[in-house]
Amino acid sequence: MTSGAIDAAEGVADVVIVGSGAAGGMAAYSLTKAGLRCLLLEAGRDYDPQAEVNMTAPESDAPLRGAATPDKPFGYFDATVGGGWQVDGEPYTMREGTDFRWYRSRMLGGRTNHWGRHVPRWGPYDFKPFSRDGLGVDWPIGYDDIAPFYDRVERMIGVNGGRIELENHPDSPPGCLMPPPKPRIPEMLLKAACESLGIPVRPAHTAVLTRDMPDDVAPRAACFNATPCTRGCPIGAMFQTTTSFLPMAKATGRLTVVTDAMVARVVMASANRAAGVEYVDRKTGARHQVKSRVVVLAAGTCETTRLLLNSGGSERPGGLANYSGQLGRNLTDSTGASFRAHIPELADRPRYNEDGIGGQHMYIPFWLYQQQKRGELDFPRGYHFELGGRFGIPPAAALPRVWGKGLKQAVRSASGASIAMVLRGEMIPNKDTYCEIDPGVKDRFGIPVLRFAFRWSQHEINQVAHGRRTAHAVFKRMNGTILDPELPPEKLITAGGEIIHELGTARMGADARSSVVDSYGQTWDVDNLVLMDGAIFASGAHKNPTLTILALALRASEQLAARFKSGAFA
Amino acid sequence: MTPSRRETLQWMMAAAALPLARWSPPAMAAGQNTTAPFDVVDWPEVLPPPPARGYGRDPDLMTPKVPWPLTLSNKQRATVDLLGDLILPADERSPGAGTLGVGAFVDEWISAPYPIQRADRALLIGGLIWLDAQSRALHGATFDAIAPSQRDGLLDALVVAAPVVRMAKPVAFMDTLRHLFVLGFYSLPEGKADMGFIGDQPTPGDYPGPSEEALAHLAQVLDHLGLASS
Repeated sequence: MTSGAIDAAEGVADVVIVGSGAAGGMAAYSLTKAGLRCLLLEAGRDYDPQAEVNMTAPESDAPLRGAATPDKPFGYFDATVGGGWQVDGEPYTMREGTDFRWYRSRMLGGRTNHWGRHVPRWGPYDFKPFSRDGLGVDWPIGYDDIAPFYDRVERMIGVNGGRIELENHPDSPPGCLMPPPKPRIPEMLLKAACESLGIPVRPAHTAVLTRDMPDDVAPRAACFNATPCTRGCPIGAMFQTTTSFLPMAKATGRLTVVTDAMVARVVMASANRAAGVEYVDRKTGARHQVKSRVVVLAAGTCETTRLLLNSGGSERPGGLANYSGQLGRNLTDSTGASFRAHIPELADRPRYNEDGIGGQHMYIPFWLYQQQKRGELDFPRGYHFELGGRFGIPPAAALPRVWGKGLKQAVRSASGASIAMVLRGEMIPNKDTYCEIDPGVKDRFGIPVLRFAFRWSQHEINQVAHGRRTAHAVFKRMNGTILDPELPPEKLITAGGEIIHELGTARMGADARSSVVDSYGQTWDVDNLVLMDGAIFASGAHKNPTLTILALALRASEQLAARFKSGAFA
Repeated sequence: MTPSRRETLQWMMAAAALPLARWSPPAMAAGQNTTAPFDVVDWPEVLPPPPARGYGRDPDLMTPKVPWPLTLSNKQRATVDLLGDLILPADERSPGAGTLGVGAFVDEWISAPYPIQRADRALLIGGLIWLDAQSRALHGATFDAIAPSQRDGLLDALVVAAPVVRMAKPVAFMDTLRHLFVLGFYSLPEGKADMGFIGDQPTPGDYPGPSEEALAHLAQVLDHLGLASS
């Protein structure tokens, strides 16, 4: 626990915020700057990137050379604390036939300490999908409503990137983006090959600073073009709330942070008014209640949903704020599939430093909106490719089955000669994909757990099949040897949840009948209960969600502050 | 976990400068060859490993430690180092993998309490026992005591694309060995230097991008492929 403006046990906070990731961090920053006294509850332990990130150690210092294990699914040095695909003592279950993965951490800053950093803007079509193809639902807001918040979020978190100049890929106004890094050789080759096939390749938008970002409290330095971002970034070049929003919010003197506080339920004052929350101290097991004028849930899409489902009591067996019956429904993840080839033309290519800003510098935005509109494609929603290909240990499939000097020569020759095209696509909500409370299973705190049901539809299967045809056509244009195993698309596609883009289980809408919250995340049923994370998305798009989570959280926080000012919670 | 899923995770890991990808060896078509290279001895039974604890979900990242006990005897470890020096031998660019102690890495790997490592453990320990038994059957001595040309003959038999059924496990053993040697060797500073790897160096300022030499090479590649630069 850190010092702040409120004694958690005694006082009444203006706002209690559940979760310290992207949405909770933004809420804490925006609301404290607006003068509100906030109590932030984080289920995980305190975490300080400056003290705990082993930024420069070689992988050979780690057990198993840093390889992924069930304890650390993204490698030993990865910045995931206390979790992964499983959290000890906090299970989740699945309906028969479901394969769903739920990635959680238990640390201050949540999943911003390890994330993909790819932050494309969503475009006009992404907010009106039903109007375009008759599937899913439209958002109650459009691109023009969110654009000013994108502008501000890009400047607040620090995003580098170039112009895209393509349909449904809005460009940022001048002054929003930092300059992008130069492309690497494999990215330049991919660009030439793709463009000869009519496929665009553009500078990615990435939440990594390429210019210093001074601040009195939390200064952040430009990327120094080394060390893996997924370990976390003590110099602050990669955006994570633990090096930005959280210290800045604390510096206002109006934020109290309590870690190891696992929120069990929203406590109600009356039928349509929340009184605060009840949490379990993860270290002692003791239960505490805290009072607040407003409750903000930003625990992550599924955890927020679980909280509401567990907060109904006997009066609302379907869960709190679930008049619409939509709570837990409309769960989506991004589709995912990876394609790889060995490019003989790149064998033995000249060495140079290819680290750059960590991840991709270039990517392939979706480019077939017109064909889709004309009905020429057998899938309704888009995808993009993230691009990989760097010097390093070549994949086994690119090495001949030899031993001796020939194996050493083969490794040298193949290093840097493999290229990856990694698909991320939009999933459309379907009735067979949702989360609910498991009637028979509780976690170690006695809190009922989530049970998942998940199914890809033919829309997603066809999309991934199209992605494979595209990737293989690009590889062939480079005279590449395809390294992918022959699998049908339904086996090629990732498991639900595996891309860690869970969204939609408390969706926003125009009315209380068809949605859980309004466009400001305010629940229709409970006046002072506001949701700010990915749960409120009305659709998933193929574009990574974090920039939009941040923009919606900023918009919701400012609306909430305005309501405080107007006396709504006096 | 299907290969595609595993590879998705691999790709995430590839954000690291030196991706430590899980090996997925080329598919083997067992049984296509009709004759074995020699009379193949039986694959041995391997006892299941003793229970051991992993490093948990919140290990100390600043002082990494391997918490599980190791498995191999001194003689077994020496045999792995010998195999390391044969499979990735010393040459003008770098020492042999065994000389750099790849046996210790293999021991750490196969002793770990995780599913991939436990599966590799059964193959590796079984393989070491098999190799000595096969060596004795053919040449009257364990693998470390036979002549270099006899060792070469054994290893050659373990890299065929389509082994007979009785050779499928020994060949899978060799695949795993090669994987672990590549991972264990090229993740060391000496191995990175062997590959000519340049990186892991803080470079403040804008990313410099490819060198003139690398750009000139790309121009040649584009020309070969009939592609316009863009």
